Amino acid sequence: MPDLSPTLQDGSRIAVIGGGPAGSMFSYFLLNMADAVALDVSVDMFEPRRFCHRGPAGCNHCGGVVSESLVQRLATEGIILPEDVVQRGIESYTLHMDVGDVEIATPLMEKRIAAIYRGNGPRHSEPLDTESFDGFLLQKAQEKGANVIRRLVTDMSREGERMRVRCADEFCDDYDLVVLATGVNSRLMEVLEDQAQEFTRPERTKTFICEFRIGRDVIKKHFGPSMHVFLLDIPRLEFAALIPKGDYVTLCLLGDDIDDDLMRQFFDSPEVANCFPGGIIPSHVCHCFPRINIKAAQPAYGERVVMIGDSGATRLFKDGIGAAYRTAKAAAKTAVFHGIDADSFKTHYAPLCRKIHNDNKMGKVVFGFGSLVQKARFARRGVLRMTANEQKQVSAPRRMSGVLWDLFSGSASYTDVFLRTLHPVYIGSLLWNLMVSNLPGNAATKNPVAGVECDRAKH
Amino acid sequence: MPNTKARTTTPVEQSFWTYAQQMEKLPPCQAQCPNSGDARGWLGIIAQHEKIGLTLEQAYDKAWEKLTELNPLPATIGRICPHPCEDLCTRRDKDGPVSINAMERFLGDWGISRSLSLPVADLGKHTESVGVIGSGPASLSFAYQMARRGYRVTIYERHELPGGMLRQAIPDYRLPREVLDAEIQRLFDMDVQLVRDMDIGADIEIDELRKRHTLIFLGLGAQAGRDIGIPGEKGPGVIPGIEYLRQRKQGRESQTGTRVAVIGGGNTAIDAARTARREGAQVTLLYRRSQVEMPAAIREVEDALKEGVQMTFLVAPTRIIREGTSVRAIEIQEMRLGEPDDQGRCRPVPVPDQFRRLNVDTVIVAVSQAPDWHGMEPIRDGHKWLHTEEDGKLEDSIWAGGDDRGPGIASQAIAQGRLAAEAAHAELRGIPHPKQNLQRRAVVKDSVKTDFYAERQRVCSPRRAQEDWLCNPHLEIDQTIGSDQAELEAARCMSCGLCFDCQQCFMYCNAGGFTRIEESQSGKFFVLALDACEGCGKCIEVCPCSYLELRDSD
Repeated sequence: MPDLSPTLQDGSRIAVIGGGPAGSMFSYFLLNMADAVALDVSVDMFEPRRFCHRGPAGCNHCGGVVSESLVQRLATEGIILPEDVVQRGIESYTLHMDVGDVEIATPLMEKRIAAIYRGNGPRHSEPLDTESFDGFLLQKAQEKGANVIRRLVTDMSREGERMRVRCADEFCDDYDLVVLATGVNSRLMEVLEDQAQEFTRPERTKTFICEFRIGRDVIKKHFGPSMHVFLLDIPRLEFAALIPKGDYVTLCLLGDDIDDDLMRQFFDSPEVANCFPGGIIPSHVCHCFPRINIKAAQPAYGERVVMIGDSGATRLFKDGIGAAYRTAKAAAKTAVFHGIDADSFKTHYAPLCRKIHNDNKMGKVVFGFGSLVQKARFARRGVLRMTANEQKQVSAPRRMSGVLWDLFSGSASYTDVFLRTLHPVYIGSLLWNLMVSNLPGNAATKNPVAGVECDRAKH
Repeated sequence: MPNTKARTTTPVEQSFWTYAQQMEKLPPCQAQCPNSGDARGWLGIIAQHEKIGLTLEQAYDKAWEKLTELNPLPATIGRICPHPCEDLCTRRDKDGPVSINAMERFLGDWGISRSLSLPVADLGKHTESVGVIGSGPASLSFAYQMARRGYRVTIYERHELPGGMLRQAIPDYRLPREVLDAEIQRLFDMDVQLVRDMDIGADIEIDELRKRHTLIFLGLGAQAGRDIGIPGEKGPGVIPGIEYLRQRKQGRESQTGTRVAVIGGGNTAIDAARTARREGAQVTLLYRRSQVEMPAAIREVEDALKEGVQMTFLVAPTRIIREGTSVRAIEIQEMRLGEPDDQGRCRPVPVPDQFRRLNVDTVIVAVSQAPDWHGMEPIRDGHKWLHTEEDGKLEDSIWAGGDDRGPGIASQAIAQGRLAAEAAHAELRGIPHPKQNLQRRAVVKDSVKTDFYAERQRVCSPRRAQEDWLCNPHLEIDQTIGSDQAELEAARCMSCGLCFDCQQCFMYCNAGGFTRIEESQSGKFFVLALDACEGCGKCIEVCPCSYLELRDSD
């Protein structure tokens, strides 16, 4: 039966715009799958930046945390992260609250996380024997046969059946399929939205990331192999963490439009200053205010066009690289096995975006709970006590620790996290801890440290 | 700096906030050009023509206009300039410097073929009249800059045809006379007057000219060849290089013998040697230092060698041996290199008792030139050269430029004529003295990110086949590149220190701080909203051409 809807053919040309993780993984998977079905297609990846540059020019702005499960999943795809890409294996979270600190050890080995640099390290950093995560993935795609074009795409239009891609230097070329993997920190999505009535680009909010140069040894002593998370009563702040990486510590503030006011409140918190040696926050060497996707593109596909990673749909606040992986793979699968028309993407790709979108709705609820806890001192005491007690016991199920871990690391879906918080034992335990920790005369109310010794030195 | 919004204040050290600003900088080509030629500017018009809404033809016209703001003779200079601009071109270490000289030549020829005319601000706007003595590059430049500012200009030339050294001394195979004629004619089309065959001192006194004109400009050049001062030098068969070239240009009866010795290592010596080769002579060039110390342009030396000019280095003439009145031979002494002089060139030192004879019948002496002071006695101060102020002012209402202030390349003469005109205009109009335009900060070496730019093969002026070079003494060796090649070559300019619309800042700014200018011009495509800047410095780091930089502290 003749099939009139467009599919990839031998000789088809694919343009991937953006050489971040989504673009690289898409190219890698697509070429792999095409190989498997003996389909001879070519992939041009447009990426003018070089991830070997230090500082923001070579960086893709993010906290740089990859969950162990994603690392494992990539390994099964043949993408084995070399040691020089991983800055530091993170083995625990340390939760900082005004009522005390608690360290949550990694629940299971497969839930460990890895800290990475998206570029080649902070501005003015010495050439270390490290490699950029994005650079590594791009190289993998290249090894698979993707052709990297060092040009900046500035425009895209329909030219008859095909898509025309235009670059800043007036280079232009036609393709059978265009894959948008520009992320939300590039203007291209805005340019495209202005052109196409039916398309709405992802909604964004402003975050803050900066790097402190502290030194390997001092980091080991003060931060350990632990990611430090803050649960502070600061309006609009959803998540704040310090992530140790080599000689540097990365600070990551997520929330609703991080601004000067919020940052001032954060830096003025004693819990933050106390994390640093001598209780003094040092000068930072590099910072940026990257935008993150908080609502997926509508729709994230079109005729011969598909948007992946942050350009399409991603998980709220966390695990953006995991979402890049999932969207890249689903889009590649659709293109190779189903078709490159809007209907194929609608049937085979859109469901994943919807699933991510729905999970994010659940994520909002979960983060809403988090905000409640942040606001209420008595709730913070309860969480602290429950977690600390779980951490002391070796064999008992760690319900609160698990929930917090998955929430911080993005290792599980928000729906999963949410469902676990509905477990009667969890609720019962939380209620009990809320009550006990807030009893008048309870030690915890007077002495904020609930009994867990962190690796880091106390000041 | 109009930054009204208070900057982020956090405990995080403010000095690490890297706010950006746009800042045009002086590119190395312009810094190297004696005339501060804005190659980046006119190449940019061509390279960016589609972005600024020009057809290629319009872009060439506009680039020509930009070029001729500072240099009224682009087809000429595009042929003869040793182009120091290309020496420090940022592309040099990547895939060869931009062929600025070939591009200038192309645009010059483009202007001639399109009969483009030089702009005049307001003809006869000012009543002052200006007298220019000499019509070499300095004088033509001064005349042009004054005429376009609205002054009445009269040029007094001792010879029949204007052009000075360009006319008298540059051989046809480097500069066809039609090209020079066409470029000078444009000045006369601006209503610049020419008085020919006017020998100052004989036909008119210099003081009379001073009465006639509000101010005068001296562009006397250095037209007198100088002697070496050795026995046998006086008499037939020995001729100054400049005089030899002048005679050959005028097509006068040849004095070239069959065996010619040329003494000297400068451009005049090379021109004379190559001209003599074209007359069929066997030519030996004698230079007292070694090849690396030769002041002549390297390419000219290489071409002379290709044409069969013999070069003998580390020798100095000591005597010219005559038989009757005719030259028979030249006696030369071996030299060796001694200590470096003030300019870092090694001094030649005679090797005692090492003499040789070289049988020749003509000796061309091209060791040095000086101004011809004939008729200028009332002005001359007794020194070898004129000593003016930096802007060319000699005394009240007298300005000077070009080789009469010391030898230099034609671009330098053009620069001196232009700067003198700018200063003279300012003085006449009572406006502030024009500041040297080199106040802009230079592009810091290595700040241009050359790996951003794709490799592109350098386009050079094509040359005629070498076997044809000597067939016709007037045949020009280099050719002009075509329009397609010119477009490709212009695109090789990295636009050091000025925006060329790579769009990276616009595309990557997290804050969306860059806005496209609706009516963009070459070099100006985006505005940066200073208070939108979040100080991450990404745009500075991605900017390939070093246009974006750390903002000056407020």
